[in-house]
Amino acid sequence: MTQTAGTPATDTPDRGTHTASTGPAHATDAAATDAVSFTGVVKAFGAVRAVDVIDLRVPRGEAVALLGRNGAGKSTAIGLLLGLDEPDSGTVRLFGGPPARAVTAGRVGAMLQDGRPIRRVTVRELLTFVASTYPHPLPLAESLGLAGLTELAGRRVDKLSGGQLQRVRFAVALAGGPELLVLDEPTAALDVEARRAFWSSMRAYADRGNTVLFSTHYLEEADDNADRIVVIDHGRIVADGTSEQIKGSVGGHLVCFDLPEGFTAELTRLPGVVSAEVRAGRARLRTDDSDATVVALAGLDAIRRLEVAPATLEDAFLALTHTTRDAKDEMKDDTKDGL
Amino acid sequence: MPAMLEYIKLEVRRTLRDPGFVIFGTGMPVLMYLLFTNLGGGAGPDDMEWKIASMVGMAAYGALGAAVGTGTGIAEDKSLGWLRQLRITPMPPRQVVLGRALAGSVTVLPALLAVLAAGGLVNGVRLALWQWAALVALLWAGALPFTLLGIGNGYHLSAQTTGVVNVGCLMVLALAGGLWFPIAAFPGWLRTIAEYTPANRFAYLGWSTTQGTAPGATTIAVLAGWLVVFGSYAVFSYRRSARTT
Repeated sequence: MTQTAGTPATDTPDRGTHTASTGPAHATDAAATDAVSFTGVVKAFGAVRAVDVIDLRVPRGEAVALLGRNGAGKSTAIGLLLGLDEPDSGTVRLFGGPPARAVTAGRVGAMLQDGRPIRRVTVRELLTFVASTYPHPLPLAESLGLAGLTELAGRRVDKLSGGQLQRVRFAVALAGGPELLVLDEPTAALDVEARRAFWSSMRAYADRGNTVLFSTHYLEEADDNADRIVVIDHGRIVADGTSEQIKGSVGGHLVCFDLPEGFTAELTRLPGVVSAEVRAGRARLRTDDSDATVVALAGLDAIRRLEVAPATLEDAFLALTHTTRDAKDEMKDDTKDGL
Repeated sequence: MPAMLEYIKLEVRRTLRDPGFVIFGTGMPVLMYLLFTNLGGGAGPDDMEWKIASMVGMAAYGALGAAVGTGTGIAEDKSLGWLRQLRITPMPPRQVVLGRALAGSVTVLPALLAVLAAGGLVNGVRLALWQWAALVALLWAGALPFTLLGIGNGYHLSAQTTGVVNVGCLMVLALAGGLWFPIAAFPGWLRTIAEYTPANRFAYLGWSTTQGTAPGATTIAVLAGWLVVFGSYAVFSYRRSARTT
């Protein structure tokens, strides 16, 4: 595996170091167990570091969500993953080789975010072409069925609605029967019903042992449909794990209460409290020991309209990503329709 | 390879289903041919000579327009994100470009055939069967450099610019090459230049056929030179766009 100077290898296999002569082959084998691996990957556009050192490994068969607000670096990461862009430094590997090799071998199918319809071809014609470029495509009827396009097969792609078109993009990604399915904001234009159908198809496809990586800024979607969530913010991975792990990592519970008149105790000093926020006279405490926090509040006689709730993924997401005031405001706009 | 055939089918369908392409690409050269040969002309031996020469010139013009127009489609595909989507199919990039060039060659045929048909059926042009066959084959194959020129523009320029530049190329090449009016009417210096333009030599393939002779070595050499020039331009533009999109 090639490493770019200056970026430390996080996954240098110890077992590989003493077999220098067969090193490359071994490294390839080791990485081959992963569908995707990013090692110290950096990509800048001008002064903006869109991807600012990402290390990520996705074993085969996993369904992974890349969660982040708009502009967090998700699409850039996906462009690098597919080999559409070259990283400034670091290495991207798909199935142990360069992305282009996996793409040419027909192991990757992808749904890009910005694709607009080509004109004057039908859904069937488009999918027939895409399938023909892969060595082991899905039968046409199956990709049409999974994407919910059976009724629309004879329609021209440029005459479809936004939601229908989104399903065509999904079908294009599926048509080749790829081992790795990459979906950039797959449900952006879908209504509730279509969204449900989409995720059930996506899970059906993942259940066949395929690897799925999708990006989203909808927290619920990541929570419901991924085995693992990778939270990206400002081009970095700020959390990586199951939804439970991520919720736990930022303090397990929220304790809310109305601040009594003349309450002076410093909220963050209370037992268990990780962070505190006061909005319109109501305190919101993030705590990793809600019992201790509540007992302390009771001792201070501060219990007014007390609520104790498990932290949601949203809370975790907010805590992980609002490092700057701007980012926080921007993110609220992006996420509200997903909540 | 089956992938490339499917790709060519897809692209040919897209082009032939475009009413603009069919009406302007095919209708315009036919209309111009019929106008140029039937307005103010008298009956006589010169008249038939002009009907034949103009038939070849307009067939070449129609083929040229369709060939260069391939590039306009490519620029559009670039702006739609379709080229990016193609890059993540297993089809190698080289096959994408080659497939597109071959699809472009196919879409050259309607305009070419329509003008020849107008010559034979409306203007009463009579040629030997081998001459008709040779006309189609030579004008069809000879359009390749122009397809490459269009592709070069398509990868190189934005969608809006490509349309304008391609029409500009078409007009300049057609006029300078004597496809509309014979270069015999040009001043001497312009005539010399005209003889080295690609469209002129392209039409020469047809003019020599209608005179029953094989195209000369100079014609082949000049066309081969332009094929290299436009081919290199297409490859250069493609590489450049692959780096930036």
